[in-house]
Amino acid sequence: MQELLDFARGPLFRLTIALMVLGLLRVLILDIWGAITAYRRAGDRQLAWGDALRKTIAWLFPVKRVFTKRPIYSLCSILFHIGLILVPVFFLGHVQLWKSSIGLSWWTLPEFWADLLTVTTVVFGLTLILGRVGSAQARYLSRKQDYLWIPLLILPFITGYICTNMVLSPNWYVILMLIHVVSAEVIFVFLPFTKIAHCVLMPLSQFILALAWKFPARVDDKICTTLNKKGAPV
Amino acid sequence: MNRLSVTKSILWFITGLAVTFGAARMFFGLGAVSNLSDATPWGIWKGINVVPGIALAAGGFVVTAIIYVMRHHEYHRYAKVSVLLAFLGYITAATALVVELGLPWMVWHPIVYWQHHSALFEISWCVILYLTVLFLEFIPTPMEETSRFAGIRRFLIKYKIVLVFLGIMISTLHQSSLGTLFLITPEKLHPLWYSSLLPVLFFISAIAIGPLMLIVGVLTISTLYNKPLEMDKLSKLAVISMIVLIVYALIRWIDLAATAKLAIAFTGSWQTLVFWAENSLLLFIPIILLAIPSVRRTRTGLWTATGSAVIGMVLNRANMAGIMFVATGKAYTPTMYEIVISLGILSAAILAFLFCIERFNIWDVKWSSDEERPEASPRFGHASDVWLGTPRIAGRMVYSLVFVFSLAVGLAILPVNRIQSAGVSDVPAAKARGGATLFIDGNRDGYGVVFAHDDHAKRLGGDSACVQCHHSNVPMDKQSGCHECHRNMYVNADVFRHDWHAAPAGGNLTCNACHQADRQRTAETAVACDHCHKDMVPTGATITLEQYLAPSYANALHGMCIACHQEQARVLAEKPDLGRCASCHTLDDVPMYLPDDVITAYRDTMYNHVVLPQSNSQTDGN
Repeated sequence: MQELLDFARGPLFRLTIALMVLGLLRVLILDIWGAITAYRRAGDRQLAWGDALRKTIAWLFPVKRVFTKRPIYSLCSILFHIGLILVPVFFLGHVQLWKSSIGLSWWTLPEFWADLLTVTTVVFGLTLILGRVGSAQARYLSRKQDYLWIPLLILPFITGYICTNMVLSPNWYVILMLIHVVSAEVIFVFLPFTKIAHCVLMPLSQFILALAWKFPARVDDKICTTLNKKGAPV
Repeated sequence: MNRLSVTKSILWFITGLAVTFGAARMFFGLGAVSNLSDATPWGIWKGINVVPGIALAAGGFVVTAIIYVMRHHEYHRYAKVSVLLAFLGYITAATALVVELGLPWMVWHPIVYWQHHSALFEISWCVILYLTVLFLEFIPTPMEETSRFAGIRRFLIKYKIVLVFLGIMISTLHQSSLGTLFLITPEKLHPLWYSSLLPVLFFISAIAIGPLMLIVGVLTISTLYNKPLEMDKLSKLAVISMIVLIVYALIRWIDLAATAKLAIAFTGSWQTLVFWAENSLLLFIPIILLAIPSVRRTRTGLWTATGSAVIGMVLNRANMAGIMFVATGKAYTPTMYEIVISLGILSAAILAFLFCIERFNIWDVKWSSDEERPEASPRFGHASDVWLGTPRIAGRMVYSLVFVFSLAVGLAILPVNRIQSAGVSDVPAAKARGGATLFIDGNRDGYGVVFAHDDHAKRLGGDSACVQCHHSNVPMDKQSGCHECHRNMYVNADVFRHDWHAAPAGGNLTCNACHQADRQRTAETAVACDHCHKDMVPTGATITLEQYLAPSYANALHGMCIACHQEQARVLAEKPDLGRCASCHTLDDVPMYLPDDVITAYRDTMYNHVVLPQSNSQTDGN
């Protein structure tokens, strides 16, 4: 068990975190590259930059949107995200690991807040599943990964909470820590290739949406030709 | 997936791995990834990338000479390819050189610091000059893409013949001087390879391999992009190479016979096996295959003959540059990481070659639209079954994924144990000996520094000057010496000993005796040493303690002396050299108060490191 844990904390961790960081960089670069190509080709270069920027910021802090449709679900989602982002990055134990391995350290969460945010993440994650299952519209839109992601995301939070706050026998500690590490690594691997990539693509999405309605120059002629209606007004 | 995409994906994968390992080499030094040492400083990078890279780049000057000097304009179509191959060959060699030099940031030194006696000085100038020439020969091709450089382009094409001649001159010098380099190793290089004709042999073999390498390049393009070959022209070029190869073989074998070394080839040692393998690959197989017209006019025949010659050439140069060096110390086997870096540099060069071929007007493989490209057939991502877009966009997505994946794999299999090496061995620092004048020799190896302690104290202001240097005492002590805390010669020492303070048999302190009760127990939230040890820091000490680690003895004493000495060297006009190494590390680095005959005896035993006769009990014990 201990050997497995060492492997999961060593080479497997390096592999998966590199896949996550580089994979996210890759999708970010590919998206920007594609967007620049689309913008260059567009016949109409007018883009509502300010509007897209306003929408991006509005979605980053969706306070106004919370109480319009499905208010409880939206509120749970926001609270879920806070712990999900803060705890893995600013938990003292994690920062100490970074410090001892690569020598970098940063600000950490007080223990009380780390525990509280862990609990909120788990609780609101479960609420989000219930909200998805409970609404017929949401069920209709959901794919398998939408149901699987939240249990996978809260699994390291549950195991991490147990490992830090309970007195465990060494065997149980190693087993739970192994689940904690491996589940986090599964998240790392799938993160850049699934919908969770929105963690870096989110700032781009409004701009790309705006760009998506720009067509390449003279594309209307091509459409008309394809439809055998040459010369028809578009 | 088609042939081209598979090839490119594999190349991207190897390149990615090599980038990670190469980064590890650059950040953590040669020892992190390679087995190179002072005894075997030339490894696989020299043997596979640098020396053969130069030889395989010979096509650049041979083919341009055939076209522009001998005026065989029927080969004009191959000029750009051969220049590109030569350019990439030299870049490969230069890149590998930067990777394998111990201090790569000093690679520019030969330009400024001239050393006319060195063969490597001439070689480095040849590399610099010929790279420039090749760059100027190659750059008009990509310049076609924009009209901005039209003037420069026209100028370079107009005076191309000058560049061609310069290229021939510098290459002649460079190829032969690589052979000259090995003339200085008669007792190191195996006799089957060592010859006083090495410069001639290097030059002639380079001429032979140049056109063959061009043919390999053309065959690669034709295979990957399904383009027809001009068999008659290629086989004619191959015949030229074959004739030169025969000349080379004659010179080499007659030289071996004339210097009475031929018999060594039949002794059956592993070196002779390599010798026969090299000669078969480089000489026998290509010469025989190319001599038969019906063989050299087929694609397979040409592939076999040229491929064999190129591999034989790499083996020949690798033998010269390392394999056949009589072991002068520890045997050297390259690590996996070295091999991957070596292959990665080659892969990157091939990718650059394919990029230039596709992108620029070098060969007729430029596509006017994406549908024409060989990988244009409808394709779907294997994971998602989604159409990935036009070939160019699909390529971008697939290759970047492969590259990212290989970078991550490389990071996972990084040689962590080599990077986190055991480090410097733990040498305890010993007390400085003497009285008014101290002899500082922390590791007791006999090489030390004589330090006029009382003289320094007097000059710095008498008794009040102590605290300018002495900044901490061991508990219960006054005037503790440096070695008490700076206990290790080369590594930091833990002077706090947390576990001792906490242990019942030691300090027997509870956690909260030092740490604040309601906070995380880290060093930052604990009380400072002088909370309990009131007299530990002398009043007025100029140096403050900031952490629980004492720097190594060597660093501590260097840090203490050098800053002040350099400062004084600026202030005191009569002592401008005070800041230099030799002002302390003098030749008289033995205690000055000893009588002369004792000093002589001391030096004899210390400096000559007298080898004591080995006793039997010692060997038995081992």
